[in-house]
Amino acid sequence: MADEMLPAELLTALNEQFPCRAPQIRRLAALVGTDETPSPPSIVLHGLEATGKTTVLRTFLDGVRASYTWIACHECVTVRQLMERISAGVTENVGGVDAGRAGDVCALGVKLSGALSGVERKHFLVLDRVDRTKEGSSVLLAALGRLGEMIPSLTVIFILSVPKPRLLSSAEPPHIHFAPYTKEESIKILSKYVRRIPFQDIEEYTEEDAKEELYVWQKFCGTVWDSLAKGTARGIVQFRAIVDEMWEPFVKPIAEGKYGTRNYSSLYLLHKEMFRQETNVIDVVVPVVTGEKAVAKMHDLPYYSKFLLCAAYLASYNPARQDAVFFMKSADFGRKKRRGGATGPTKRTAKNRKIHRRLLGPQAFPLERLQAIFAGILPHRISSSADIQTQIATLTSLRLLTKASATDVLEASTKWRVNAGWDYIRHVARSVKFDIEDFIAE
Amino acid sequence: MESTPPEEVYVDEFDPKEHQGCYIFTPDGEEDRPTKRRKTKGKQRAAEKTAIVEEKCPFPVLLDGKETESTLRLRYRTYCKLWEAQEKRTKAILDSFNSKTLDDVSAFVKDATPEKYEGKIPTALVLAGPNIASHELLFQQLAQRIRNQDKTGPVVALASKDATNLKTTLRKLIRDATQQDEGVDDEEEDIIRKSTKLLNYDLQILQTWCESHEGQKVTIAIQDSEAFDSNILSDLISLFSSYLDRIPFVLLVGIATSVEIFHDKLPKSTIRLMRGNKFDVERAEECLAQIFNDSMTSDKAVLRLGATVCDFLLERYRDHTQSIQAFVAALKYAYMSHFYANPLSIILGFIDNADGLGEVLSAEHVEAVRNVPSFRRYVEGKMAAKEVGEVRKLLTDDNYVRRTVAEKILESRNYGIELGQALAFLEIGRSCTLIQNKTPRYELYAKALSGELQTSPSVRDFLMSLKRMNSTTLLNLLEKVMQEVQAPAITEPLRPLQEKIKKLVEEAEASGGKKNLISEFDTTNNTLRGTAVSKKVRLGEQKSSLTKQDTEYSALVQQVYTISESYLTTNFNSSQHGLQNVLLHEILFYDLRSPHSAVFAPRPRSTIERGLSQPQDYLACSCCTSADGEEVGIRGTQPPTSIIYQLYLESGALINIYDLWSAFYSVIAGDEEDFDVPTAQALFYKSLAEMRFLGFVKHTKKKTDHIAKLAWKGI
Repeated sequence: MADEMLPAELLTALNEQFPCRAPQIRRLAALVGTDETPSPPSIVLHGLEATGKTTVLRTFLDGVRASYTWIACHECVTVRQLMERISAGVTENVGGVDAGRAGDVCALGVKLSGALSGVERKHFLVLDRVDRTKEGSSVLLAALGRLGEMIPSLTVIFILSVPKPRLLSSAEPPHIHFAPYTKEESIKILSKYVRRIPFQDIEEYTEEDAKEELYVWQKFCGTVWDSLAKGTARGIVQFRAIVDEMWEPFVKPIAEGKYGTRNYSSLYLLHKEMFRQETNVIDVVVPVVTGEKAVAKMHDLPYYSKFLLCAAYLASYNPARQDAVFFMKSADFGRKKRRGGATGPTKRTAKNRKIHRRLLGPQAFPLERLQAIFAGILPHRISSSADIQTQIATLTSLRLLTKASATDVLEASTKWRVNAGWDYIRHVARSVKFDIEDFIAE
Repeated sequence: MESTPPEEVYVDEFDPKEHQGCYIFTPDGEEDRPTKRRKTKGKQRAAEKTAIVEEKCPFPVLLDGKETESTLRLRYRTYCKLWEAQEKRTKAILDSFNSKTLDDVSAFVKDATPEKYEGKIPTALVLAGPNIASHELLFQQLAQRIRNQDKTGPVVALASKDATNLKTTLRKLIRDATQQDEGVDDEEEDIIRKSTKLLNYDLQILQTWCESHEGQKVTIAIQDSEAFDSNILSDLISLFSSYLDRIPFVLLVGIATSVEIFHDKLPKSTIRLMRGNKFDVERAEECLAQIFNDSMTSDKAVLRLGATVCDFLLERYRDHTQSIQAFVAALKYAYMSHFYANPLSIILGFIDNADGLGEVLSAEHVEAVRNVPSFRRYVEGKMAAKEVGEVRKLLTDDNYVRRTVAEKILESRNYGIELGQALAFLEIGRSCTLIQNKTPRYELYAKALSGELQTSPSVRDFLMSLKRMNSTTLLNLLEKVMQEVQAPAITEPLRPLQEKIKKLVEEAEASGGKKNLISEFDTTNNTLRGTAVSKKVRLGEQKSSLTKQDTEYSALVQQVYTISESYLTTNFNSSQHGLQNVLLHEILFYDLRSPHSAVFAPRPRSTIERGLSQPQDYLACSCCTSADGEEVGIRGTQPPTSIIYQLYLESGALINIYDLWSAFYSVIAGDEEDFDVPTAQALFYKSLAEMRFLGFVKHTKKKTDHIAKLAWKGI
């Protein structure tokens, strides 16, 4: 530890543990160094999700036995909580006495300089995921950066995903970029965790088998990357999750002895469908089990709620001036309008508005319009009772209908908006045998 | 004086001193107030006393004020007793109903560890259906189960109304979680919190708590995920996920719509943090069926609903609410309103034991019994049967009527029970056939009461397919009927037949190994042959292909068919066995629709619109109604607001105030040349203000001197 340079064994061990991060580790070694070498007041580590920022730094600091305080900023709900954590953490690690709370950055500066004044060793304050602090402003980061300048023995290390220029409003601190892994790097990393092929008829696991497995695994990782992960899951963690998910069904024929390990291409052809569908890429809470769909018990909305929802959709996506065309019960009115509309104005609007209304998002509408459309699309007349109002309220608390203006709910001019997609609405409309397609304006 | 909060300042007690910066305080003013206060206190106490007395019996005196105090009390007590029994049974059904979901979810919580779910938060998505009212009950049951029975750790229920921002949500979560245990080490907790001086929304508090309570899971139940702000929800979930290595969280998420909508609501990075399973809550219809069967068709039910109320309730359930709670509330209302307004309802208290009924019924009660339509029909029936002595006694002898009522009420009650059994038989029978639409019992009930069932296809289809049944299905059906229907009228004659068929099947099995005997009426196999002649030919062929056992079996099927047919037709026959022939059915069946629709589905909007556009309907004054009762237009004699409203109906979306005023003036002035303009203006302003308060018009900036129309009539 007393040497000027870091021991070479440590670096080799780290490089072994974290492949493809050699430049970053070298830079860290230079900046963090040992207790004798000076460190800059602040360091910024940046890089996208799952590029090893946190793990590398933590292992490195542990490896060189530096004195450091680790603060997980994303766990802090307020700035005050963050400040208190920092002050508590530093005092605890340095071994000073607890001298009250530090509610803001100024108090924190005073406290930390007090706590670190008598300390000989360098101290590192690591702010992990500092960009995910819930309340933080840009000034906060700059102020925290100053801490390192005010207190000589302190170095503040920021870990964040994307740095902004002039992030700390001071002379640029050294940045270490953790670049996203490329395809080759990803496969190299994943090769450290080769999953076994669950061979059925095997007595002993030999060196040969391990080699074969590595071969299939690397080939397989490459295929997954090219077909799925390249576009959807570039983070190493996500990539690994997909590979894990797909591995077992993929090697099943090998495990059963139907395929050899070396004819990968025919195995790929067998599973071609697997790389086409996206089920493994889409994140869901409940994993989809194939063949389960038969027992789908749908919870149903009440009959009139469904019509209300359809009416809300129509009110949101149809222009109000066309309501008479679609919902007037007397037939001749609609025809006249339609014929008239076919000549002049339609051509002009067609030129101007090319975007489909569905893509423009739901428009706000007054409740009166919803009720009028509701009355218009019902197959039979019902007089509006309190039950209809209750259902509107229920749809609101289900967030299928949302309030779009800040005024009171009871006010007649309050606007509303539908909050359900076309697929859902079409499904609802079909269940009450309502041809919603006929009423949608093109 | 100045410290008096504004809500206690009464307008009539206006004291100018209170608005001066400095004044001399005179104590006699103080004397005034306490005496007043005392007075009101005394009054209150007196009111409370009377309230206690009244509370005992909030029902009015009926029978033209001649009902005695004791029968009044009895009526109320009977109501309380009967409803209590019914409510208890309903509650038991509701409690047991969610049991499967509860079992599943509690098993999930017991097993859940992050390791099992790839280091993600174990999450149970509870699909609870769109009936929000029932969610609270379900989540309460879940929390109780996990907290008290499974003892896996604290359960925190988060509702959207508590979660206005992240800080308060966390504060509530931590408080609820740490204070739920036995309270033995509360002091210890306080010490921990004080020594570390953590903020009260810091999850580290919960972390320290978890360290001292090894093996406890923290279950977070999010009851209404839809109503949650999605930012707060995703912040919460990412916080949980980052603490997951220190605090073993388990999430329960209540979803009213669908999993897809839940997925759409949250960012993908948040969804990635959760992994788990989904749990479907039993559909509400099954719960409704159970409660309905218990309250309408079981033999425990005393008061039943008639066809119209039943239709109304079911329709409201299906089309509007889908809420069991609303149904139960309506049922309670039916009980209440029956006992509230029907003096004869006291008879229901003696339904199990008719002793003492005779003494309770006063002369007025007997008179009321004689006025009931079903009694009149009964007497007319006797008359037609030439039992003149009987009729004379019924009409003149009060004691004889009392005895008859005591005797017949049980008989009438049996009508309801028998009907329920017949419906149960029909439902079970239909469930064993291949009939596509399985109409539940509650749908059939109303039809049966109104006498529609006798000729309906439901019965016909069932009897037809009964004839065609093979032996396996038939035995299955008979077995179910024997188990679930307690009506000797049907089970007694069917039992020997069941035995015979069983024996026949055994014989067939022993001889030829054929397990399934086919009825000769079964023609499902040869539907390919379309023409009548070819069918005949096939029938002949089929008959010849039948074995000896098959033929015997067919004879037995024929017998089952005959028995079932006669049983169903007697029970559903409206002319002989209909509801109107049941003596005193008015007491046993509640069938008034209007109180329910007025209370549960009022129509405020159309009522206001009618009141304003046709004030004569409410005022019934001679000036506004024309001689022949026809509708009249706008008249100056109508209330001014009504005039404005009718003018408003005729206008477009924007109304020019001056036009409206001149129209109003010409109406209100009528033929009078010199109507006072200031008076008319005052009326105009007042009515317009009323229109604004009712929410019909609004000030607008779109056009000067105009107001915007907000409501259209008849929507």
